[in-house]
Amino acid sequence: MVTASPGPGSIPLSLEGLSVAYGERTAVQQLSLTVQPGEVYGLLGSNGAGKTSTIKAIVGLVRPVAGAIRVFGLDALRDGLEVKARIGYVPETSMLYEALTPREFLEFVASVRRMEATVATRRMQSYAEAFRLGAELDEPIATLSNGTRQKVLIIAALLHAPPLLVLDEPLNSLDPRSVRIMKDVLLRYVASGGRGVLFSTHTMEVAEQLCQRVGILDRGVLRGEGTLAGLRDRVAAGDASLEEIFLRLTEEDVGVRAAVDSLGDPSV
Amino acid sequence: MRLSDVAFTELSLQAVYAFRQGNILPPGRSKNLVARSRRLVLQSKVVISVVLALLTLGAVAIIHQKALNPEILAAVPVGLFQSAVLTGLFSLDIALLWWTGVQVVPTLISSGVLPVLEPLPIDPRTFRRVAGILYLRLFDLPALTIIVLTPLAVGIALGPLAGVAALPGALATVTFALALALLTGRFFLRRVQGSRGGGGRAIVRWAYLVLWLIPAFAMFAFITAAPAFFRALAVLASQGPSLSSALLVAAFPFPFATLPAVAAGGTSSVAILSAPVDLVLAVATAFYLGLAVWSAVWLAGSVRTLLYLPVQSPVGASAVSRPLRPVGRARAVLVKDLRIASRTPGYAFLILLPILDAGALGLLTYATPAQNPAAASLALGAVTTAALLATFFGPAFFAIEVVAYSYGRSLPLSNRSVVLGKVALIALMYLVAAALIVGFSLLRFFEPFTFVAFVLAELPAVLGAAFFELGFLFRWARRRGLAITNLYAGAWFAVAVSIPGLILAGLPPLLFDLTRSWGTALGLEVMALVALAVLALGAPVAFGRGAS
Repeated sequence: MVTASPGPGSIPLSLEGLSVAYGERTAVQQLSLTVQPGEVYGLLGSNGAGKTSTIKAIVGLVRPVAGAIRVFGLDALRDGLEVKARIGYVPETSMLYEALTPREFLEFVASVRRMEATVATRRMQSYAEAFRLGAELDEPIATLSNGTRQKVLIIAALLHAPPLLVLDEPLNSLDPRSVRIMKDVLLRYVASGGRGVLFSTHTMEVAEQLCQRVGILDRGVLRGEGTLAGLRDRVAAGDASLEEIFLRLTEEDVGVRAAVDSLGDPSV
Repeated sequence: MRLSDVAFTELSLQAVYAFRQGNILPPGRSKNLVARSRRLVLQSKVVISVVLALLTLGAVAIIHQKALNPEILAAVPVGLFQSAVLTGLFSLDIALLWWTGVQVVPTLISSGVLPVLEPLPIDPRTFRRVAGILYLRLFDLPALTIIVLTPLAVGIALGPLAGVAALPGALATVTFALALALLTGRFFLRRVQGSRGGGGRAIVRWAYLVLWLIPAFAMFAFITAAPAFFRALAVLASQGPSLSSALLVAAFPFPFATLPAVAAGGTSSVAILSAPVDLVLAVATAFYLGLAVWSAVWLAGSVRTLLYLPVQSPVGASAVSRPLRPVGRARAVLVKDLRIASRTPGYAFLILLPILDAGALGLLTYATPAQNPAAASLALGAVTTAALLATFFGPAFFAIEVVAYSYGRSLPLSNRSVVLGKVALIALMYLVAAALIVGFSLLRFFEPFTFVAFVLAELPAVLGAAFFELGFLFRWARRRGLAITNLYAGAWFAVAVSIPGLILAGLPPLLFDLTRSWGTALGLEVMALVALAVLALGAPVAFGRGAS
C-alpha cells in the first residue's frame, strides 16, 4: 500500500454521541461532529475540555463508553485496524519509542503501514529536509529536543499520505519556520481533494488561520460549531475575534474579567 | 511531608506507570495509584532484600556447619575457610546490589523527578540532600539488609568481636556497589542509550550489555568455581607466605572478609598471614577503607549531577539520503524490539540471559570428559534450560508494547503481528542458545544427529508455549483495555501465565528422558510429536477467534 485509500464513505470523520470516561470521571459527553472532505476542522477548548480524550478515542487509544466513530464510513470500534490505516496521528505529548532513532522509528512505521521502500524514503527525505532534520535522524529519540521529536511525529503521521489527519496540538514546541511549513502543508493537503484534518488547539490565532470550521468544547460538551462568521452571528458580535467568541460560548468572558479583577495589582 | 518523600512518591509512580514516557493514565483514583506504585516498589525491594538475607544466612550456615566437601575442609585452615566464604558473600552482595542499581538508575533518570523540582526556590544544599536521599532510597532495604544482617549473623556464628569486624566489609560493599551503579548509570546514558543508529554501533551496544550482565552470573560463577578456589587455597596454605598469598589478601573483598576470621581465631587461624603478608593485609584494608570513604564522598557530590546528565551522543554527519527499508509487520516488531533492547538493559537482560547461560553450560559440557555418561545428558539438559528460559521470559516482551509506548497502538498493527514478532524473538533466542550448546557438544561428542534433532524437536514446543503465553496476555489486555495494562502493575498475571508456558515447553524433554531408555530415536520421535501437539494447542490462543 503506497497511499492509504479512503473507505466506503466519502466523509473523512463523523462522531455520533461520543462519550469517553475514565472511571467515574466523564471527559467527553455525547459529542457529535463531522469533518467534511477538503476541510480542516479545529477542535477548540481550554485545558481539560476533552479534546485529547476525543482524539484518543478516534485513534483507538481509549475505548468510548458510548457513541459511534466513523472514518470514511468505517466503524472505528469494529474495523479498528482499517481505520488506523487511514489515519495519520500526531499525539499531544511526544509519545515515541525513546530507545529508537527517528530513522529506526520511521522505518518501523513504514513497515507497519506496508509502504514501499522508495516511496517511504522519498517522503521521509522531503519532510526531513523541509524540517531541517539531518544528523538527528540517527540519534536516539531520548536525546532529542521536544521540537525535534514533534517534527518526527509529524513526519510519521504524513509518511503514508493518509486521507485523514488527526492532530492533537501539533504545533506545540515547533519553531516559527516549522510552524509556517506545517500550516502550508495542511492547507495544501486538504486542497488535494477528499482528505480531512481534525486539528485540536487552544491557540485561537492558529485556528482562525487554518480551520474552515471549528467546534468549541467545554468540559466535555460541544458548546458551539461552525464557521467563524456563523459563530459571530450566533453570539451576535459582528467583528469579534475567535478568542472572544470562545470565551462567550464557554461563558468564561465574565469569569475571566472577575479572575483578573480579583488578582488586583500583580506588583502588590 | 518531606521534599524527598514527595520526590520518591513521584519516582515510584513513574517507575510503575511511566506517564512521562507516554503511558496512558489508568482509570481509578490517583490516591490509589500512588499507594499501589509505592507498594509495588516496596515489594521489589523486599524481594531483593530477602535474596540478600538468604545469601548471608547461607554463607554463615556454611561457616557454622562447615557444610562442604570434608576433604577440602581438612586441607584448608579454619580461618582461611571462613575468610573465603565471607569473600564469596561480599562478592555476591556487591554483584546483586550493583545489578539492582544497573536496573533502577536509568528509571531514576528517565523519571525526571529532580528537574521538576529545579525551578522551585530550594537552596542547593537541600537540593543535593534530596538527590542523595532519593538515590539511597532506591537501595535502602537491600543495603540495610547487608549492613545489619551480615555483622549480626557473623557475630552469632563466630562471636561478637567477629560480628563487629564484619561491619567494615559490609559498609564498604554497599558503598562500592552504589558507586558502581552510579558510574555505570552515567556510562549507560552516554554509550548505550545515547548511541547512534547503525549496525557497527549496535554490536558495540550489545557487547556493553553483555558486560552489564556479568554481575548476574556471579552466583553461578561462584558455585561453579568454589571447589577449585578452595583447592587453590589449600595449596596456598601449605606453601606459607608467597606472592600469591600477598595478591590474594590485597584483592577486594578478601581483606574485609579476613577481619572476622582474625577476630575469631587470630592471624594463625588464617595460615597465610605470616609476615610480610600480614602487612599487605593491613595496608590493603586501610586502602579499601579510604577508597570506600572517598566513594561515599564522591557519591554525595555526584548523584545530583547524574540526575541532570543529558543523554549525550556524538553529533554525526547528516545522512538524510540513506534509504528506509520497510519489512513485514511481524519482522518490523522483531527488529524494533531488538533495537530497543540494544539500548535498554532490562530487555537486553531477558534476551542475553538464556544465551549467556547456554554459553556457560556449553563450556561446562566441553570441560566434562567425553567418556563421562553424564556429559551428553548435561548438554541436552542445557538445551532444555535454554528452551525454558526463553519461554519464561516471553511474557516480559509484552511489556514493550504496553509500558510507555501507547503510540504504537495508534498504528494499524494487529495483535497477531505483534505476537508473531515476539514469538520470533523467543525462537531466535532459543535457537542461538541451542546453537551454542550444539557447537560445544559437537566439539566433544561428535553426535550431530542426536543434538540437532533434539533442538529441532523442541522448537515447536517453544513456539507453542510462547504463542500460548503472549496470546493469553494480549487477550487479557484487550479485555481490561490495553491502556491499563503493564507488566509491573499486573505482574502476577504475567508470572501466572509463565507457569503453564514452562510446563508446555518442558513436557517434550521430560518425555524424551522417560522414553530414551527404549532408544534415542524413539525418545526423539515421542518428543517431536508432543512438541507438535503443544504447538497445536498454543497457536490457536494467539491466532484463534477473538485474538486480533
